[in-house]
Amino acid sequence: MSTTGSSNPEYVNARVRARRAALFSDDEYRKLVRMTPSEIARYMEESEYEREINELGSRHSGVDLIEYSLNRNLAKHFNDLLGFSEGRMYDLIARYLRKFDAWNVKTIMRGVYSGADRESIETDLIRAGEFDESFLDRLLEASTIEDVITSLDGTIFGDPLEAALEDFEETDVLVPLENAVDRTFYEELLADLPSSEAIDLYREFLEAEIDFRNARNALRLARSGADIDPAEYFIEGGRLFNARELEGLVQSPDQLVSTIRDSSYGRELSGPLDELEDADSLIAFERALESVLLKYSRRLGNVYPLSICPVVAYILMKEREVENIRAIARGREAGLSEAEIEGELVIL
Amino acid sequence: MSLELASEVGNVVLQAGEAGGPALSELGAAAIAVGLAAFGAGYSQRAIGAAAVGAMAENEDLFARGLILTVLPETLVILALLVVILLL
Repeated sequence: MSTTGSSNPEYVNARVRARRAALFSDDEYRKLVRMTPSEIARYMEESEYEREINELGSRHSGVDLIEYSLNRNLAKHFNDLLGFSEGRMYDLIARYLRKFDAWNVKTIMRGVYSGADRESIETDLIRAGEFDESFLDRLLEASTIEDVITSLDGTIFGDPLEAALEDFEETDVLVPLENAVDRTFYEELLADLPSSEAIDLYREFLEAEIDFRNARNALRLARSGADIDPAEYFIEGGRLFNARELEGLVQSPDQLVSTIRDSSYGRELSGPLDELEDADSLIAFERALESVLLKYSRRLGNVYPLSICPVVAYILMKEREVENIRAIARGREAGLSEAEIEGELVIL
Repeated sequence: MSLELASEVGNVVLQAGEAGGPALSELGAAAIAVGLAAFGAGYSQRAIGAAAVGAMAENEDLFARGLILTVLPETLVILALLVVILLL
């Protein structure tokens, strides 16, 4: 499809809503929590995931089967989104789905760096972004990090990665390269968005996403007490922090929490923040951030139905479904109790 | 383009004025009224039709409902016809 011509928000929105209705409900998650991995696979076979489970059933089994079917189904739906959207709509959806291009690039770099074989890297890719099959195959054939970066020349990741290559060669850790990928993704996401009422609110939503990401990274750094420069992980574009502020806040977690509490997100996050101060676990807070973001996107989608908003809400909900089912399957495999698994889920 | 058309229309109106009658006959006005109503209906059907086809692509059972929703704006044209018939 092309990015020129008029967009078709009505058509895309109708299809997205139908697919949204097919997602697992919260009751179904509670049912899944009580199943063993093979029962989950069988349950999935009778749902949305029938085709993927059947296709992959001969090659994988158990939790791997669940995980790969989830990824493949996710990729199928998101590719469909790109397939039936046009014009401005396509442009905005593609920008958001580049998240998976960034994921794939990072996965391939990590795989090459750790010397994993091609097949095992390939199974971890999520083919949902803008890169097509042949391009990903070319990336997979690369045997060194330099080769990967050369192949990426011409994509949005090409130049920033080349700039970060020097850093990588000096330190021999992947962090600068991965940060370059993440930053490029968010820069492109926010770069010259058109101006309309719906898009302005969409931009606010993206800024909230970036803020949450920064807050999560900062809290993780503060909790782990690791001696890492927080500015390295900082993503530009949010409203809540700037790089220098964040550096100071990581030193004192209490101040960080109170900054978040005083911000415009304070009202939604006050419950989870209280919990965070009482308990010492970040997991609940991170899940709360995700569910606040999810609710935010859903509300936007209801306010502006004929825009990118409901599509992004659907993308987030689908991702949540995949993560939840994966968490359930992995949790059951590891023998976690039902209560522990439910703590890992994002349920609205 | 539109400017040229406007001046053209102006000429026609002036000529009609010289002849003494109104610029637009009653029948002409009625035709424009129905035409505009039909245009409005068509414009709204563009969006509804696209959404209905999208819904049908996901679930074929929605055909009847989609069809009903798509033709609802036709009532605009029927209303316009009614008004025109009553006035003429």
